Amino acid sequence: MTVFGLKAAEREAVLVERLAELTEHHRAACPPYRGILDAIGAAPPYEHVADLPWLPVRLFKTHELRSVPAERVFRVLTSSGTTGQRPSRVHLDREAAAAQTRMLAATLRVVLGERRLPMLVVDSRSVVRDPALSARGAGVLGMMNLGRDHTFVLDEQGRVDAEAVKCFLARHGSERFLIFGFTFMVWLYLRDLGADLAHGVLIHSGGWKRLAEQAVDNAEFRRRLAAECGLSRVHNFYGMVEQIGTIFLEGPGGDGLYCPDFADVVIRDPETWAEAPPGEPGLIEVVSTLPTSYPGHVLLTEDLGVVRGVDDGCWPGKRFEVLGRLPRAEARGCGDTFGRG
Amino acid sequence: MEDGPALEVRFPAATAVLVAGLLAQLGDGEPLLVGDERVRAFLAAFGRRLLRPASARRHPELGSLGFFLRPSELTRTVEALGGAHIRVPRGLVFHIPPANVDTVFVYSWALSALMGNRNVVRLSPRAGVVTEVILDTLHEALAEADPVIGATQRIVSYDRSDAVTAALSAACDLRVVWGGDGSVREIRRHPLAPHARDLTFPDRSSFAVVRAAAWLGAPRAARVGAAEGFVNDGYWFDQAACSSPRTVFWVGTHGECDSARGDFTDHVERVVAGRGWTVDAAMAVEKRVATYGLAVDGVAERIEFRGNALASVTLTDPAAAPRRWLGAGTFAHARLGGLAELVPLVERRDQTMTHFGFGRDELEELARGLAGRGVDRMVPMGGALSFHRVWDGVDLPVEFTRLVTVTG
Repeated sequence: MTVFGLKAAEREAVLVERLAELTEHHRAACPPYRGILDAIGAAPPYEHVADLPWLPVRLFKTHELRSVPAERVFRVLTSSGTTGQRPSRVHLDREAAAAQTRMLAATLRVVLGERRLPMLVVDSRSVVRDPALSARGAGVLGMMNLGRDHTFVLDEQGRVDAEAVKCFLARHGSERFLIFGFTFMVWLYLRDLGADLAHGVLIHSGGWKRLAEQAVDNAEFRRRLAAECGLSRVHNFYGMVEQIGTIFLEGPGGDGLYCPDFADVVIRDPETWAEAPPGEPGLIEVVSTLPTSYPGHVLLTEDLGVVRGVDDGCWPGKRFEVLGRLPRAEARGCGDTFGRG
Repeated sequence: MEDGPALEVRFPAATAVLVAGLLAQLGDGEPLLVGDERVRAFLAAFGRRLLRPASARRHPELGSLGFFLRPSELTRTVEALGGAHIRVPRGLVFHIPPANVDTVFVYSWALSALMGNRNVVRLSPRAGVVTEVILDTLHEALAEADPVIGATQRIVSYDRSDAVTAALSAACDLRVVWGGDGSVREIRRHPLAPHARDLTFPDRSSFAVVRAAAWLGAPRAARVGAAEGFVNDGYWFDQAACSSPRTVFWVGTHGECDSARGDFTDHVERVVAGRGWTVDAAMAVEKRVATYGLAVDGVAERIEFRGNALASVTLTDPAAAPRRWLGAGTFAHARLGGLAELVPLVERRDQTMTHFGFGRDELEELARGLAGRGVDRMVPMGGALSFHRVWDGVDLPVEFTRLVTVTG
C-alpha cells in the first residue's frame, strides 16, 4: 500500500474534512490554541485546506501548546533551534508517537520497499549516544528504525571509517541497501569513499544552506553522486520536528518534493496570505493529519518554496521545491534601547 | 602586548592608535569651558550642514539632529544652567552608544562637548550608513573649526575588546552607556575610578494615552494630524525605539473608546498606506508569532490585521500591556475609566507617554501621582522621538558638569 496515491482534488477533499475536525479537536482540547482562534475570529466551515487557520511554526519555540494532559505526554521532542533561540517543544502521547513512526515508514516504503534494508549511516555513532540527543541524533535514530545492520561511515572521532564501509559493502553491496545522512554530511563524506554505491538508496535531509555556500544545488548534488559513486537513487526530504512523522519526499527523477496522502503544502503570498499559484514563490505552509496531541496540523513555516507542478509528476499531487529560509526579522531601530533620541 | 591594546580613531583623523597614546593625547592641551564658543561654533557649523536639503531629505533623522544643534538651541541649553555656583566640565567622558541607532552618539557627545568635556565616543564597528554620513559631515565642519576641537574630541571604534573598554573606563570621569540592560551589565564589569560615575540608559518602553471623547470631538484635521504623529512615533524605528508607543490606552466609556479606537485605526491605516510603508515577509511573520503568543498567554482578546503593516491587539486587561517589542506596527489597546487608573499600571521601565486630549494640569497631576513609579516624559502624539536635553528623567547638561562653590 502506498501513501502516494491521491491526486490533488481527492486529497483536498479528504484533508479539508480531516483537518477541520482536527482544528475543532484542538480548539476543545488546547485552551491556548482556542485563545488564538477566538482572537483572530477563525470559525468553520472551511471550504478549502487554504482556508484553515494556520499557526506560525515558531510559536512552538515560544510557547507550550499541547492537546493532551501532562500525564498523557509520552515523549517531548525538541528541535535544534538556532543559537540564542529556544528550541521547539512538541508533545506526543502514545498514539501520536506510534503514528508518526508508522507513517514515516509508510512514506519511505515507496522508495525502500517492504523489507528492512541494511543501512549505512553517514554520521558517527556518537550522535545517537549523546544523552542530550541533538536534533541530528534524533533524526538518525528515527531513521535507524527503518534499517538493519547499521554501519556508521564516521568513527567516534568523526573520521571516515573506510574499513567499516568496506566490510558493509562486502556483505550488502550487491543488494539494495539504505544510506541515510544529512545533506551536507553526505556531500562531505560520501563522495570521497571511492566505493561503488550503485545498489544504494540515499535518503537525505537537513537543508541546502551549507551546500548553497559552495554553489552546489540539487541538480549538481545528484549529478556528482551519480558520477562519483554510481548512486542514482537519491531522495531528499523536507520535514520538521513540529510535524514529526510527516516528510515531503523527493521523487525518483529529482523533479521536486511530493506530499504523502495525509499531508500537503500551501504556498502563501506573504503580502496577501492567499495561496500562490504554481510557479509563484511564497511561504510554505505544511498541513498534516498526524498531529493529534498538539495543534501542529496546519503550520506556516519560515521557509520559502514554490509549487512546480500538480498531478504532473511520478506521484500524484503537488510537487514543490524549497527555495530557502526567510531571514529573521530585525528592527531597523534599537531592539533594546532608545531610538533616535 | 606591553604597549596595550589598539583602537581605530574615526575622528578627527582616521588612524590606528594605542589606547595609552589616545589618553595621553587627550590629557594635553588647553581646557574647554562650559558653553565654550569654539565648541558652539563647531556644533552649529556641523548642524547647518546636516540641514542641507539633500542630507535632511535622505536621512530625516539627520534633519532632526541638525535642528537640535542650531545656535539658538545651544545658547538656550547653556543659559538654562545658571545658578549660584560655578559650573565646570567633568573632564573626560566616555560614551558607549547603541550599535544600531546611528544618531544617538551625536546627541550624547554634542551636549557633553558643549559642556566643555573631553570626549571619547566608542562607535560600534557595525555602525550603519548614517554614521558614515555623520562622520563625513563632522570632518567637513572640522576643517573650519578651532584646532582645540580636534585636540579634545575623539570618535573611535574597536571590536569587542575588554582591554580597551577597561582602559577607557578606568581613565574617564563619567561613563555614558546607552543600550539594553545586557550592554549596561556588560560594561559595568569594568571598574571606574573612585570619583567617576556611570550614566546609564537601559531598556525602556513607552505607551500612548488618548481621551476617547476628545478624539471623537476633534475636527478631522486634528485627528489626521495626530494619526500622522502617531505613525511617526510608532513606525520610524520599526517601533523598536524605547520611546515608540507599544500600547494605546483609551480613556472613557466603553462606547466612546470603541468608536474612537475604530476611527483612530482607520486614520492610522490610511496614513501608513499613504506613505507607502510596508513590512517585509519576515516582519509579517514576526508580528503573527508575537500577537498569537499574546493570545496563548491569555492577554489578547482580539487580533486584527489590516494588511501586514498594521496589527491591533485588544488586551483582556490594561494591566497586561506588553512592554516587549512585538514587531513593527503592532499596537496593543486597552480601556481605562479615567487617567488616574494608569497609576498602578506604570512600571519603572516606562519612559514616554504620548498623549492626546488631556490638559496640562491633568497631566501634571498624573506625573505627581505617579511619584516616580515610571514615565519620564509626557509629550503630544508625534513628539515621542524628539530628543530633549532632559532625557530619561536626567538633565544631561547638568550631569555633564560639576559645581564649584565659591563663597566670598
